[in-house]
Amino acid sequence: MSDLIVLPLVLPLFGAFLLPIVMRTSISIGAWIGPAILAYGCWILGDQWISGTTLPFSLAIGGFAPPMGINLYIDSLALLFAFAVQLLGLLFWPFKIDQETARRQALMLLLVAASTGLALSGDLFNLYVFYELVAVATFGLIAASGGSAAYASAIRYLILSGIGSVLTLLGIALIYSQTGTLNLAHLAQLAPEQLNNKLGLTAFLTILIGVGVKAELFPVNTWVPEVYATATSRVSAFLAGLVSKLALLIILRLLVLIFHQPEAIQVMLVLGILGVISGELAAWRAKDMRRMLAFSSIGQLGMIFIALAIPEQGGLLAVLALTFHHLLIKSGLFMLADGWGGAIEKLRGAAKRSPLAAAIFVLFSLSLIGMPPLPGFWAKFTLITQLAAQTSPLYLIGLTVFLLATVIEAAYLLRLAALLYGPAAKDTPIDTLAKPAGLSLATASLFGIGLLAAALFIAPVGDLLNHVAGQAANTDLYINTVLAGTGGSQ
Amino acid sequence: MRNLTGLLFAGGLGFMLLAIASGLDFGAPPMLVGGAIQAAAPQETGATNIVTSVVLGYRGIDTLGELSILFAAAASAGLVLGRRHTTAGTLTEGGFVLKHGGAMLFPLLLTIGFYIIFHGHLTPGGGFQGGVILAAAFFLPLLARPGARLHHGMLSVIEGFAGSSFILIGLAALSEGEAFLQPMLVQDALGQLVSAGTLPLLYLAVGLKVGAELAGLLSHLAQTESEV
Amino acid sequence: MMPDISLELILYTTALGLISIGLAGVVLSRHLFRMVLALGIAEAGANLMLVLAGYRWDAVAPILTTLGEHPPMVDPVPQAMVLTAIVIGVGIQALAVSILIRIRQRYGTLDRSQVVERMDAEIADTASIPRDVSQESPLGERPLPSIPDSTVEIRGGHS
Repeated sequence: MSDLIVLPLVLPLFGAFLLPIVMRTSISIGAWIGPAILAYGCWILGDQWISGTTLPFSLAIGGFAPPMGINLYIDSLALLFAFAVQLLGLLFWPFKIDQETARRQALMLLLVAASTGLALSGDLFNLYVFYELVAVATFGLIAASGGSAAYASAIRYLILSGIGSVLTLLGIALIYSQTGTLNLAHLAQLAPEQLNNKLGLTAFLTILIGVGVKAELFPVNTWVPEVYATATSRVSAFLAGLVSKLALLIILRLLVLIFHQPEAIQVMLVLGILGVISGELAAWRAKDMRRMLAFSSIGQLGMIFIALAIPEQGGLLAVLALTFHHLLIKSGLFMLADGWGGAIEKLRGAAKRSPLAAAIFVLFSLSLIGMPPLPGFWAKFTLITQLAAQTSPLYLIGLTVFLLATVIEAAYLLRLAALLYGPAAKDTPIDTLAKPAGLSLATASLFGIGLLAAALFIAPVGDLLNHVAGQAANTDLYINTVLAGTGGSQ
Repeated sequence: MRNLTGLLFAGGLGFMLLAIASGLDFGAPPMLVGGAIQAAAPQETGATNIVTSVVLGYRGIDTLGELSILFAAAASAGLVLGRRHTTAGTLTEGGFVLKHGGAMLFPLLLTIGFYIIFHGHLTPGGGFQGGVILAAAFFLPLLARPGARLHHGMLSVIEGFAGSSFILIGLAALSEGEAFLQPMLVQDALGQLVSAGTLPLLYLAVGLKVGAELAGLLSHLAQTESEV
Repeated sequence: MMPDISLELILYTTALGLISIGLAGVVLSRHLFRMVLALGIAEAGANLMLVLAGYRWDAVAPILTTLGEHPPMVDPVPQAMVLTAIVIGVGIQALAVSILIRIRQRYGTLDRSQVVERMDAEIADTASIPRDVSQESPLGERPLPSIPDSTVEIRGGHS
C-alpha cells in the first residue's frame, strides 16, 4: 500500500503530458482529467493517513537503496503538506475553458506534481529539480494570466529566481565536494564531522538565499508585490499559501537535519526580523488590496523565519502553527481579492453588497492579528512564549519587532474592515460596488469554515501539531528510517 | 554608485567563495555514493555507461523532473507566444547551397541522432544529446526556408506519448510489485546493443521528447521573430 | 613571495569567477536581454563547480570498456547532475527569451527601468490608484515613449 505514495507525484506529470493530446480530440473529456487525478491523489494520501501506516517510512525510487538512489521520506509533516498540495490544487483548479485551456491545466498539474515532490523528496538535488519545476510552471501561469504587466513581472521573477537557482546549485556543489553524497539522511549522518565548518555555513547561506526567493525571504522578495498584483488570484493564492511554505519546508529540513551552526540561525533571525519590518510597513502603506496582501505575506513569512531560528522543538511547533495558519488565511484572503483586488478606497461600504465576503474578511483579519479564541492567537502565543524563553538579546529584538508588527497588522487590517462596513461613498449606488466572484467566494468560505473548525477543536489540533513537530525534529529517527539496513553504506 | 556596489559585492563574493573552496580536497573527491554506484551499477542496471545508469536508474526521478521542466518551459513559451501563424515568409529564402545542404543533412542528422540515443547505455551520449540532434535535424530546414512550417500537432503528439511512456515504463515496474522506475528485464549481456533492460527504452522516450520539445520551442521562437 | 598557481586554483577561479561575473552582470545590466545572458554565464559557472566536485586525478570517464578490472573512474553522479542542470537551464532560457519577445512587442523597449516604470503604471492603473513615484526615475514627470501602433495587440489582454 505504501508503494502507491509515489502516484500523487507521478500521475499529475502523466496527466500533464497527455492533456494536450486529449484536449485535441475532446475538451469535455480533457477537462475532467486534472481534477480526477488530483482527487485520486487526495484519496491516496488521506487513506495513508487514516489507515494508520506506521509513519515515518522511506520509499526508495527505482528500488535503489538510499543513499545510492533517491528516496521519498514520508513523515506526518510531509504527508500533511502533500495532502495540502493536492487539495489546494483541486480548489484552485483553473476551470476556465478557452483555447489555451490544455496548456494552462497542464502547467497547473506540473505545479502540483512538483510541489508534492518538494514535500516528499529526501534527496538534495532532487529537491532542486522539483524546485525548478515549480519555478518554471509558475512563470508560465503568471505570464498566462494577464496583460503586459504580467509578462514584465514574470521576467523579473524569472531573473531573480535564476539567481536563486545558481546560488542553490553552488551550495549543492559545495556540499557534494565535501561529503560525496546528496541524500539528506546520509548528510545528516556526516554533517557533525564534515559540514560543521565555514564551508558548511557558506553552503547553507547560499541555499538559504536561493530557496529564500520562493520563501519570500527578506532581500530576495522584490518579486512578491509585482507578481501577486499581476497574476490571477488563484495563482497568487497557490503561491502565497503553499509554494512559499514548501520552500520553507526545505529550509526547515536542512536546519533540523544538517546545519546546526549558531551563525546560520542568527543570519536567519536577522533576515526574518528585517522581513517582518519591511513587509508590514509596506503593507500598511499599500493602497490596493492585492499588494497589501502581498506585503503582509512577506511580513508573515518573516515571522515564520524568526520562529525557525529557535533551535528547539518548541520553535518548530511555532513554525508549524504559524505556517498552517497562514496557509489557510492567505489562500482565503487572496480568493476574496478576486473581485476586491482594486484600490482599497473603492471598497467603501462593500459589506452591504456582499455581507458574507465582508464577514469572512473580518474573521480572517481577526485570526491574523491574533484574537483569541481564533487559531491565530494560539500560533502567535506559542511563538511569543518561545521567544521570551530565549536568553540572547537578538531574540528579544525579534519579540519586540513581532509585537510591533502585530500592532501594524491590526492597524491596516481593521482600517480595511472599517471601510468595508462604513457608509458607501455618496454618489456610488451599492449595486456598482465590487464583489468577489461566486466561485472564489465559495472557496474562501471553505477556508473560513476550516479556520472555525480549527478554532473549535484547538486542543486536538494542537496535539496533532505537537506530534508532527516532534517527529520532524527527530534527526535520529530520520537517519534510521532512511538508512535502515544499509548501515550508511560507507 | 549602484554599479560600484554591485561590482564590489560580486567581487567580494567571488573571493570569499574562492577562499573557502580552496580548502576542498581537489582531485580526490570523497566518492561515497559515486564509488558505491561504480561498483554496483554494471550488475544492477546492465549498462556499461555508468552515467546512464545514474541518469536513468539511480536518479531516474530527476530525469523525469527534468523532462517535465522542458515540457513546462515549452508549454509556457507556447502560452506566451500564442498560436498565430499569420505572416509567413517575410524573411528571405536561403540560397541554393543552404536549401539543398539543409535537405541533404536531414537524413544524416536523423541517423546520427537515433544512433546516439540507441547507444546511450554503451557509449557517451544518450537521450538528451541524441534528442538535441534530432531537434536540429528538424530545425535546420526551417532556417534554410523561413516560410516552412513544422507540424505542431504532430510534435505535441510525439512529446505527449514519449513523456507518458517514460512514466508508463516506471509504472509497469510498480505493477510488477517492484519500485517505481526500477530497471526490469536486465539481461546478462554487458556491452551488447540489446542489453540493460528497460534503460534504452527510457532513453528512446527521453530522446523523442527532448527532440520534439526543442524543435517545437525553436520553431515557435523563429515564427514569432518573423512576425516582429 | 610568489604564490604557486596550481591547476585546481585556476579551475576554481574559473568556476567561481563565472558565477561572480554572471551575478555582477545581472545586477549591473540595464537591458533585460543582457540580464538573461548574464544569468546563463552564472549558470555555466555553477555547472562547472558541480563537475569539479567529482573530478579525480588519473581517472577515466565512467564508462566500462573492458570486463573485469578497470582503471579508476571519475565520479559519475555529478556528471548526471550537470546533465540535468544544463537541460533545466536551456528550458528556462528559452522561456525567458519568449517572454522577452512579448515584452518587446508590448512595450517597445527592453530597458529595465522603462519596463519597470510601465509595469508599475499598469498595475496602478488596473487597481485604479495613483501611482507611486518610481525609485529608479528622477522626480518629476518623464514622458513615456509611445508604443508603436503596429506592435499593440490584444491577445491575452486583460480588461
